[in-house]
This record gives sequence, structure tokens and C-alpha cells, in this order.
Amino acid sequence: MSQTAPALRVVLAKVGLDGHDRGIKVVARGLRDAGMHVIYAGLWQTPEAVVRTVADEDAQWLGLSLLSGAHLTLVPRILDLLRKAGLENVQVMVGGIIPEPDIPRLLEIGVARVFGPGTPLSEIVEFLRERGGAVHA
Amino acid sequence: MLESLLEGFQHGDRLALSRLLTYASQGKALPEILSHLKSPPKSSQVIAFTGSAGVGKSSLIGKLIELLRRDNRRVAVLACDPQSPLSGGALLGDRFRMPTQVEDDVFIRSLAATPGHGAVAEHLPPMIRLLESFGFDTIFIETVGAGQSDTAVASLADVVAVILQPEAGDDLQWEKAGLLEVADIVVINKGDLPKADHVESQVRTILGLSEGRHVPIVRTSAKSGEGIDGLWAAIQAMPRKNRGGGDGRELLLYTQELLAEWFMKAQAKNRPDVLQLIKNWQEFTNQRDVIVRKLIQLVEKDISAAGGLDRSD
Repeated sequence: MSQTAPALRVVLAKVGLDGHDRGIKVVARGLRDAGMHVIYAGLWQTPEAVVRTVADEDAQWLGLSLLSGAHLTLVPRILDLLRKAGLENVQVMVGGIIPEPDIPRLLEIGVARVFGPGTPLSEIVEFLRERGGAVHA
Repeated sequence: MLESLLEGFQHGDRLALSRLLTYASQGKALPEILSHLKSPPKSSQVIAFTGSAGVGKSSLIGKLIELLRRDNRRVAVLACDPQSPLSGGALLGDRFRMPTQVEDDVFIRSLAATPGHGAVAEHLPPMIRLLESFGFDTIFIETVGAGQSDTAVASLADVVAVILQPEAGDDLQWEKAGLLEVADIVVINKGDLPKADHVESQVRTILGLSEGRHVPIVRTSAKSGEGIDGLWAAIQAMPRKNRGGGDGRELLLYTQELLAEWFMKAQAKNRPDVLQLIKNWQEFTNQRDVIVRKLIQLVEKDISAAGGLDRSD
């Protein structure tokens, strides 16, 4: 019952066969320190499991980290599943190793933003704050 | 919008449940939500897992979920992790250790617990009630890494399991008042570590000194899965406490306290509609409730003054 708006709820997850989680943990920590509630879903998630987590956690944001090169397969699949689950209001950001030429394609299918290596945490925080959480339908 | 959520909830819409849990966790629209919930045919068993950070609460719950799913039980978890007193942020990392298989009969919600609520998030009773009404028959509450005096969870659960681990202190720790006193079951997790025997015998001796209270001690290893069956058997052997889940009395008191809090803060000035709401509430509680009566007096007194009730408060 605080006076302030409820904290943004952000699910962070790694999908597919990719065992590198240092980056996503740094982002988790940064968002935590910015006052957000970060649900860390962890490694080796299936797209279905990620979408279920977003649904059950009533998150406004989903952050995906991919370093495996499978982003053009997995991200569209997740966006599709989100829509099918009635979660089209959930905003998605992607991080990790995403080759420059692939970024427009990801943005085109509905990713809010792609953050590459070396992105200052403050930039991600600012972006999330600016966008906020979509009003639930 | 709340109406359509409640409607969806009645029809088993999982997203509606999820959203209503958010409402409840923020203390929003509690009277409306609670008054719409139907009693489930059978009340759920609420099991609290508490203990220090890193003893294996999430991992044990994860193992139990696997076990319960083999019995086709419907399981929900309310997993609490601490919220920063500085930034208000939280890193909720409990579900990370629980099964990730997508099943309709498993629901996990992570919650940030603000300091000062005894190691659990605020508004757990209405959230438990939502999950119960949705049809989950087993509900786990995981506390944040709990300190010695974080005993609040005991009033919320049918069974309180306190989780300990080897190498966590000498036997004087187990003599201290607090957490161990509210344990219905003591679990020595990481039972595969060398000093587990030692801790088990210490705890056994000390708990044996309390008269008239038999607290089972179960040795587990969430890592190997050893002792998980035994833990579940011990939980099932516990008599049901009167949580008030049946007649909702405890919950009613809780919501009335909340209402009282709103009024104290907002002073509820000049709101005949609010007065009517409370009068309806009184009818609902068969007119014998002290808190409601006091609220009505309070509002009637203030009704001529200016201002309104700040529901966001």
C-alpha cells in the first residue's frame, strides 16, 4: 500500500541450448537496483516455458538473452506463443550476440529493442522506464 | 475490467487468476475480489517452507512438485524473495529451481517481500484464497531466507516446515526462541553432507526437551532426491489446522483490518457510497462484527467533511 506505482515486473530468461548467463545476471542485478521486480527464469528454457512464466508472473516485460545464434528461430516462436496466449501486451527486449543485419527483422516482428554487448545498464533502465508497462487489456 | 477478470476466473481462465493475484498482491480491490470467490469443494493444504537463505527451500519444493504431479495433484507456489529497502527492487529467483515443464496443474508466482512482514510478502491470505478457489489442492508458501524471529508464516499455513542444513552453527542456535518453535516439521536438507548426522542428533535432542510436542525430523537431499518421499509422508501425517479456510473467518478479519487501515489513512471523508459499501459488508458479516461497526461510526462522523477516499493509498 505504498504511494508509488507498483514496480515493473520483468521476466528474464535464456532459451534454447545456451549456457552463458553472466550477461543476463548482470542485467537482472541492474534492473533490481533500478527498483524493478525481476523474475529470473534461468537457463535452457523452452519457448513454451518462458511464455508460461510470463503469464503466471503477470509480467509486463520479457527479456531474452541469446548467444547461440538461434534468435531468428526462437524469438519469433516466443512472440507467436505470447500472442496465442493473449499476452500481446507484454513487451519483449532481446540481448546477447545478435548480428547487426538481424536486428531489423527482430524489430519488425515486434521486439521492442535489441541490446548488444557493452550496452550500459542505465540505457536499458531508461528504456524500460520510458516505455513502462503496457496497460493490460 | 475487474468484472471481466472475475468472470474469467470463474471459468478457469488462468490469465485472469494471474492478474487477480497481482491485484491482491497490491492490496487492490480486495473486498470485490474476495466477495466473488466461491468456496472450493475441498480446502487446500497450505504448506510453508521457511529457513535461512540457501538451505534449499526452493529446491525441495521443486522436488515435491515432481512427486505430487505423479499423483496428479494440482500444485501452486507463492515464492517470496526480499525486496530492497533502498531501491524497492527485487530479484525473484525461486522458480529458477523448480520444474520448468509446462503443466496446467502447476502454478508458480514469485513475490517481493517488503521488510517488516515476517519474511513473507504482504496480502498472502487473499492470494492463498484465490489459488484455493481456482482449485489448487496443494499450496506452498516459500518465505524469504528467514531470520530467527520470522514466525509470521505460521498463522498462514496448515503445516510449517523449517529447513536447516549442516554447518550452520552450533547447538546453541537450536535452543533459541523463534523459528524452530513454530516448526511442525524440521527438515535437515543437504543430508548428504558429512556433518548432517551431527546436526540431526543435536536438533533431535533439543526438540525432545519440549514437552508435549512431537516434531518429526526429516533428512533430505534436494540434490539426490533422497528423503523427499519421507518429507511428503511427514507433511501428509500432519493434522489440518483450523486456518479458517472453511468458513473464511480469518480472511474476513484480515480484510476488515485492511479496510480499517484504509480509513485510518484516508479518513474516508464525505463518501456516502463508501458508507453504503460498509453497511453491505456488515450485512454480509451478520452484523456482529466490531471492526465494521467502528468503521461505520467513523465514516458517519466524517461524512459531512470535504475530501474523498484515496483508493490508491
